[in-house]
Amino acid sequence: MEEPLSPFEFKQCVNILKSTGKKARSLRELRDAITVVSPEALIHHTCQYYLKGHVLEYTNDFARWVAELLEERMLAEQLSGIDPYAYASMGEVRDELVRVIDEYLRIVGSAREMPPGDEFFFNEAITFVVPAGLQARNLAEFLIAIQYLDSSSIYYHFYEARIRLGGSDDFSSWLGGSLNKKTLAEKIRKIDLFMHTIEGTKRHIMEAVEEEVRKDMERVEL
Amino acid sequence: MNWQIGDKLLGRTEIRDYAGIAPSADLLLIHKLADKLAGRQFLHVNSTKSGGGVAEILQRMMPVLDSLGIKTRWEVIKGDAEFFEITKKIHNALQGSEEKITEKMWQHYFEINRENANRIELEAEAVLIHDPQPAPLIEFRKNGKWTWRCHIDLSNPVVEVCDRIRQYCARYDAAIFSVEKFAQELPLDEFIIPPAIAPFSDKNRELREEEIGEVLDRFHLSRVKPLILQVSRFDRFKDPIGVIKAYQLVKRYNDCSLVLAGSPATDDPEGEKVLNEVREFAESDPDVHILMLPPSSDVEINALQRSATVVLQKSIKEGFGLTVSEAMWKGKPVVGGATGGIPLQIVHGVTGFLVHSVEGAAFRVRQLLNDPELAKKMGEEGREYVRKNFLITRQIRDYLAVFYILENKGMSVMEI
Repeated sequence: MEEPLSPFEFKQCVNILKSTGKKARSLRELRDAITVVSPEALIHHTCQYYLKGHVLEYTNDFARWVAELLEERMLAEQLSGIDPYAYASMGEVRDELVRVIDEYLRIVGSAREMPPGDEFFFNEAITFVVPAGLQARNLAEFLIAIQYLDSSSIYYHFYEARIRLGGSDDFSSWLGGSLNKKTLAEKIRKIDLFMHTIEGTKRHIMEAVEEEVRKDMERVEL
Repeated sequence: MNWQIGDKLLGRTEIRDYAGIAPSADLLLIHKLADKLAGRQFLHVNSTKSGGGVAEILQRMMPVLDSLGIKTRWEVIKGDAEFFEITKKIHNALQGSEEKITEKMWQHYFEINRENANRIELEAEAVLIHDPQPAPLIEFRKNGKWTWRCHIDLSNPVVEVCDRIRQYCARYDAAIFSVEKFAQELPLDEFIIPPAIAPFSDKNRELREEEIGEVLDRFHLSRVKPLILQVSRFDRFKDPIGVIKAYQLVKRYNDCSLVLAGSPATDDPEGEKVLNEVREFAESDPDVHILMLPPSSDVEINALQRSATVVLQKSIKEGFGLTVSEAMWKGKPVVGGATGGIPLQIVHGVTGFLVHSVEGAAFRVRQLLNDPELAKKMGEEGREYVRKNFLITRQIRDYLAVFYILENKGMSVMEI
């Protein structure tokens, strides 16, 4: 079997959390702060939400705070519907968040103000990327390696990559490019990130790759 | 070299001991950062060498940093009784209690720090000053990057006292808070780093059945009755009276015993007063055991936590509440006050329960006493959650990362 030219080098990432010092007591303050915080803060509160684990009720920190603290459930659902990976830049994500909140404030309004300690706290992360010490040269090695990856690797290659690569992810890019497994790549790329924890996403990737490996083996036997 | 703290020779733990226990990403990053920072001097300064979570973490962290090739020193400031009375007032005020701190007291606070600055060698590439007691040492900075590490709940401080401390903090290169809600708007980098537990320490290591039994016998504790436990200093913010009230509510429905166990700390002059109040409140209930243990009682605390059916941390104000992670690491369900860092450790309904009242605490304890399967599942979830988030390796990783970030400012992604 011919080896692909470029092996897949697995990496891991670790986020070191920084406070921006900014906080919001009300929906109005949340909206105003969203307009001025850094893109890194928006990435942290939307894309990096899934690194926290044990969360599926909402898809970002804004929605969770709006639902659980402000108790504005309708707005929380609307904010949860915003897919940060569907936009070309964090600037567009910012615009969409503000548009949804403005619309809600215009139609429904929100007067609630949270006491000290229950505000929304704006953070951002500094991300360290380190090699995981694993590489794959073919699909079987990829399958074995992925079983040993922790959630930070899956996040880096499958979630964070969509910001880095502008919509695609490292796994499907390599599978479709280096291994020429276009169908498998498309299947993996289409896994709905918002419906799974990172561990759940990992299981779905493994299932798809395992099925492909089995197909390849059956073909060899024929 | 061995790290000698007081009369106690600490067991060494090297970074390689954590392989297979700590998350691999944490260990990889620690090694990478240690390579980059090898040979640098790292200085910690705090106000007590025993008692309380800060001293405990430092005791455990030193040998691991040493094994990584990072030269680490730990200095403890000295002060008279008046100084610690003042710093306790500052501590309480920063956590929201009204305290009167006169100008003369502030001057004494500064003067004691000046004396310590003359006594302590402050030269190091990275200096980490823990909590408000030694915060004015920044005035005597010689070199290196200085970071103020705040372990206490600053979410609703007395403004006047906070502003005073803020004047010192603003002169640091960075500040570290345990929980996001404690962070203040300051003109410096502010990092969020929760504290962590050391899994191989006497307080957290696996114990033999005989070791546990010996501790239970020594304190005349039943091996049959379900045991509710709170481990904490005798401090009003830990609400020990509220714990007894919750126990009394539980006791109406479920036979059980209660242990309140704590150690004195040299920087907490109020402890004895609170202890006496607690003893008085408990009256002579034979199932309530109030244990004032010496600071070196790690095995005893470990045994009590492993014997508990439910662990409480019913704080009304809390820095972080590391006893929650300690109990979770031992597979125990925890009922905790929704304050400070406790909600960061207890995922409500998954690794334990968050409560807001005596009645809430009693209800959740009863729920766990009556549903052993739920208690077991929460205990398992809790242990895994601690493994991923609250082991000392994660904290070492974060401290080294902050050190590296301060030396390489301006990047939001660092590939190393």
